Amino acid sequence: MSTESEKMAAVAPLGRGKPLVLRHLPYFLCAAILVALAAMTQFDGYILNILMQATTFSIAVFGLSVVLGLCGQINLAQAAFFGFGAYAVGLGTADLQWSFWLCLPAGVGVAFVAGAFLGMSTLRLGGHYLAMVTISFQQIVTLVMINAIWLSHGPDGVSHIGRPELFKSSQSYLAFCVAMLAIVGYVVWHLPDTKLGRAMRAVRDNELAAGVNGIDVFRTKVYAFAICAALGGLAGGLFAGGFAYVSPDQFSFAESIVFLTMSLLGGVASPIGSVIGTGLLILIPEWLRFLKSVPGLYLAIYGLFVILIVRFMPDGIWGFVAAAFDRWRAQTKARPAVKALELKPASVGGDIVLEVSGLSKYFGGLKAVDGVDIAVKRGSVHALIGPNGSGKTTTLNVLSGLYVATAGKIVLDGTDITRMPPHQRTAAGLGRTFQNIRLFRSMTALENVEIGAERTGNTMIGKGDIKGSSAALTERAMEALTFVGLGNRANELISSFSYGHQRLIEIARALAANPTLLLLDEPAAGLNSTEKLELHELLKRIAAQGLTILIIDHDMTLVSEAAQHITVLNFGRRIADGESMAVLRHPDVISAYLGSE
Amino acid sequence: MDLILQLLFTGIGIGAVYALVALGFVLIFRATNVVNFAQGEFSMVAAYLMVVFSVDLGWPYWLSFLIALGGMALLGVIFNLGVYYPLRHRTYLPVIIATIGASILLANSVLAIYGPQPQVLQGWFETPGLQLGPVYLDSQYLLIISVTVALVIFNYWFFEHTLLGKKLQATSQDKEMASLLGISVSTMIMITFIYSAMLGGLAGILVAPILFVSIQMGSTIALKAFAATIIGGFGDVAGAIIGGLALGVIETFGAAYISVPYKDGFAFLVLVAFLIFRPQGIFGERVAEKA
Amino acid sequence: MRLTRRDFAAGIVAGIAAPHIITSARAQGSTIRIGMCVPVTGPAAEQGLWAQNGAKLALAAVNKAGGVLGKQVELVIEDDQTTNPGIVLAFSKLAAQSDIVAFLGSIRSTQVQAMAPDVLKLGKPVMIGGTNPGLTHSGNPWLFRFRPNDSYSGRVIADFGVNTLGKKKWAIVHSTDAFGTAGGEALTDALKKLGAPPVLDQGYANNSQDFTPVVLAVKQSGADVLGTYFTFEGDLGIFARQLRQLGVNIPWVGSPSVVAVSATKLAGPALFGTYGVADYAEDSSEASKAFGKIYRDAYKFAPDNQSAWTYDAITILSAAINKAGTTDPGKIREAILATKKYAGAEGEYNFDQNGDGLHGYNVVKNDKGNIVYDKHIDFND
Repeated sequence: MSTESEKMAAVAPLGRGKPLVLRHLPYFLCAAILVALAAMTQFDGYILNILMQATTFSIAVFGLSVVLGLCGQINLAQAAFFGFGAYAVGLGTADLQWSFWLCLPAGVGVAFVAGAFLGMSTLRLGGHYLAMVTISFQQIVTLVMINAIWLSHGPDGVSHIGRPELFKSSQSYLAFCVAMLAIVGYVVWHLPDTKLGRAMRAVRDNELAAGVNGIDVFRTKVYAFAICAALGGLAGGLFAGGFAYVSPDQFSFAESIVFLTMSLLGGVASPIGSVIGTGLLILIPEWLRFLKSVPGLYLAIYGLFVILIVRFMPDGIWGFVAAAFDRWRAQTKARPAVKALELKPASVGGDIVLEVSGLSKYFGGLKAVDGVDIAVKRGSVHALIGPNGSGKTTTLNVLSGLYVATAGKIVLDGTDITRMPPHQRTAAGLGRTFQNIRLFRSMTALENVEIGAERTGNTMIGKGDIKGSSAALTERAMEALTFVGLGNRANELISSFSYGHQRLIEIARALAANPTLLLLDEPAAGLNSTEKLELHELLKRIAAQGLTILIIDHDMTLVSEAAQHITVLNFGRRIADGESMAVLRHPDVISAYLGSE
Repeated sequence: MDLILQLLFTGIGIGAVYALVALGFVLIFRATNVVNFAQGEFSMVAAYLMVVFSVDLGWPYWLSFLIALGGMALLGVIFNLGVYYPLRHRTYLPVIIATIGASILLANSVLAIYGPQPQVLQGWFETPGLQLGPVYLDSQYLLIISVTVALVIFNYWFFEHTLLGKKLQATSQDKEMASLLGISVSTMIMITFIYSAMLGGLAGILVAPILFVSIQMGSTIALKAFAATIIGGFGDVAGAIIGGLALGVIETFGAAYISVPYKDGFAFLVLVAFLIFRPQGIFGERVAEKA
Repeated sequence: MRLTRRDFAAGIVAGIAAPHIITSARAQGSTIRIGMCVPVTGPAAEQGLWAQNGAKLALAAVNKAGGVLGKQVELVIEDDQTTNPGIVLAFSKLAAQSDIVAFLGSIRSTQVQAMAPDVLKLGKPVMIGGTNPGLTHSGNPWLFRFRPNDSYSGRVIADFGVNTLGKKKWAIVHSTDAFGTAGGEALTDALKKLGAPPVLDQGYANNSQDFTPVVLAVKQSGADVLGTYFTFEGDLGIFARQLRQLGVNIPWVGSPSVVAVSATKLAGPALFGTYGVADYAEDSSEASKAFGKIYRDAYKFAPDNQSAWTYDAITILSAAINKAGTTDPGKIREAILATKKYAGAEGEYNFDQNGDGLHGYNVVKNDKGNIVYDKHIDFND
């Protein structure tokens, strides 16, 4: 234990120093120059139109980079949202004579709400089903646009769409669009580093783990969809003002595919990639117009390219470039010293931290867990053991909220958590690791642990605005990583760690959240004997700080040495419970594992 | 009443088309966990092959038919090797996108080679149809319905009562286990793609006399067929059939009684309703992810 | 050799840079250049090809006769991809070339509407084939129409059906796209004026695979005549077949697609005996016969309205420039508007102040697969 003064000296400044905006001054300068160029250079009509199309489409593709690149959810309806924005501006300025400045935000708002609505379908669905829902949504919107003539002018489209007085000339309007692109680009660029952004990345990499690490997966996905849609609506509104005429055929499923391909080509996860992809896919057809002399040839090559890109450049052009850059960057970051990890588990209730009564989980006719009682004493290491198939992992899954209990009650430190979803249980103080390691593979070790640290109600880091807590967040995460012995490799990607070390990172992630109770699911699985010894030491250090641990494992040596209290399950029922040595000698337990004579 | 009967027949007829294409979807999905967005294009390519051989070259109908199916088998092989196989270890998203790319490639290659004009393909029968009381039964639709029924029976027999069929089932349910048992997973998958491409091709050849042979003929059917698969329960063969028939009937009646222009919308509304309230479809099973 | 990601990336960069380096050399000033926005790709690629055919035929004839203002005429083609942004881009690309004196625009009205603002800004004459009546009534002086607009097609269908065939209970079936909706409305209006309001107004979405509900609706309405506006021949073919299968044999007068070559081929016997209004009918006049012959000689295929209007457009435009004696847009405009009693392939052109050259339609009949000319109905108001 270091003294107070030592602790102070050892804390290197982890803070970021200057405010964010100043640090990114170069970006704003570049953006300003581009805007000025757009306003002043004499373009002919053709170039102007291309730039206008490229700029507005890029904003729509930014939206895809958020929902698909960042959050990993497929959205094949971006053209519909683009259409909402376009029609809002179109109908508003042409029919209702409203100001452009009113119509544009209105369009963004409508798209935002529609996107959130679509995002809510993710509550039950993912993968192909989600793809189908988004396609259906797109098709329905297109049908309405064409047929609801009273609303949308139908197939004739809307003409004489207005522009703001300030930007009446095409040149100045283009400059305005470029400015919007720069602003939106900045926001999207920094989104991955915000709390919401990290949550999205976690959801993309591993939903289950994200949930048990305190992230409200459903809400994150809804936000992702809403943001994507809002950007699509913004882009559409700007497009309408730029081209002065819109019609339903521009907002069809085929256009959604175009947006998707633009996103993929440049790199789905980054805004720079979006701009590159959009630019290329608007310019290439123009350069390759000669290929269009044979109908279908151009598009056939286009289709072939999509396949090739997915096969050889899944991260797109920019992803390719950026990955190389990141690898270089990971090695060169400085490693400041950190103070020791403090675990201050809450202690509201009395002696018993976790009280499980009559817990049952049935899968149809199969009673995986049947009327199990467990009482975990505060500050102890409690083990749950049993032969294969006894219901241990099922119990753990019910405890952490991945399954809903068929019957029974779970009380954590005085709070009844039986019906809570995983992220709420984490907020209530439950932490867990997984048998089959669930780390967020696209992130570094530090980022993984930061996500754990970010759980709601973590009293060990500052609350409030981004500026204050981001430094504290990193600090806490570094402490946890150092605690498990991996502080010096904080900025490496997960894929470069050995299995045993990945397990340690998972534990660090759980610890960073300052849980009241830590659930460890087979932490020794797959470890060699040296690693198992290290694990045992780690458990002792954790327990020494007063944290309560509930551990499932098969390694009897580890269990008997680390745990004070053991509960034994067999065929879903509790067959023994009590002090370790006594339980391990209990005849029922022995016969459950070894069979009787 | 006459109205209802006629609508019912047409609904079932077009539903059988959806069912045939849906069958192809389901088979590939079960084996590879991949949704093939190019399934509709398989139908389209086969129809064009028929036109080339039976109309342009004037060869006998049955011969052209066999050649077209052979061509589809070949296409299945190429598709597997070119699109699915290199991506088999990746997540579903790259594969979906790659199949979308493949569908664009196929459609436009045909366009580039053959040109944009829709073509006529003769039906199997000389007589265009029979009048059964108040209901007119288009003979090609009758053929489609019969073939679908036959295929359902064939599928059942094949998958449940032949060794190859059971191996295919095993592969689709648990690839690792199947390979541990000595089943060559990659061969099974190849067979699945070949069979599925031929099924798609068959659907295209059957429906071409009614819908004419055009570049777009595949895509609209495919989208509806996909919806049918979900309604029936993804991964379930019977579900695909029932889903397809149900969709055809819903669409036709919806058009007649509610609104013709929104006809396509009904398919999607029903799909969305199912996805929200019963994503496993009529027959599917809920599959929870293991922690 | 395994294709690595690096190779692929390098390949993409090279592939993108290359065409950009290849710049096109342009002929300098020795020709009169006319721009043409036409679908080379996209769903209307087929029609686009025919449009080009017609224009090129006219071009060859004009050049043979001495060209325009003493120079040969050159056609500069840009692909509009059959989309709205596509035609805006194609037009702006052409507009950027200041030596282009006039343009041929689209046969699709939504595309014309999309490019209209840019046309207005540029201030040079654009020949169009789109039939939405509003195109020449929205205050844009630079659009000149070489096909009769839909207010006329509706009136002709109505007139023929009511006055010539004597049928008054109309069922109208139309596509829900821009063309079909506008056409349906025009027909309804015309019928009301003739005292025969329709008993059924049925829209359908393009690319339907089945028309049973529509056919049954027609049957149930008790109509004794059918008027239609179909956009795509595939739909038309399916509808026609099912119509006959379900026993509906009432007279049928439809928009031009009903008698178009591809529809006739697809639907076969189902369309025998149908009447259609056609802006181009080969036997309707000497000029149309002459055009038919030249086209067949050159392309071995019968022409239709897709190529006829572009043929007339190039011919009349060239003549107008020659008459004006200059490439000044305003003078060309006057010259075009002054074109009266010109016998073109599409009919007799009498330009009105709005820029509409034709004011009537031919009525033709599908006589066992052959399109025969029946009569011409013109409106001179």
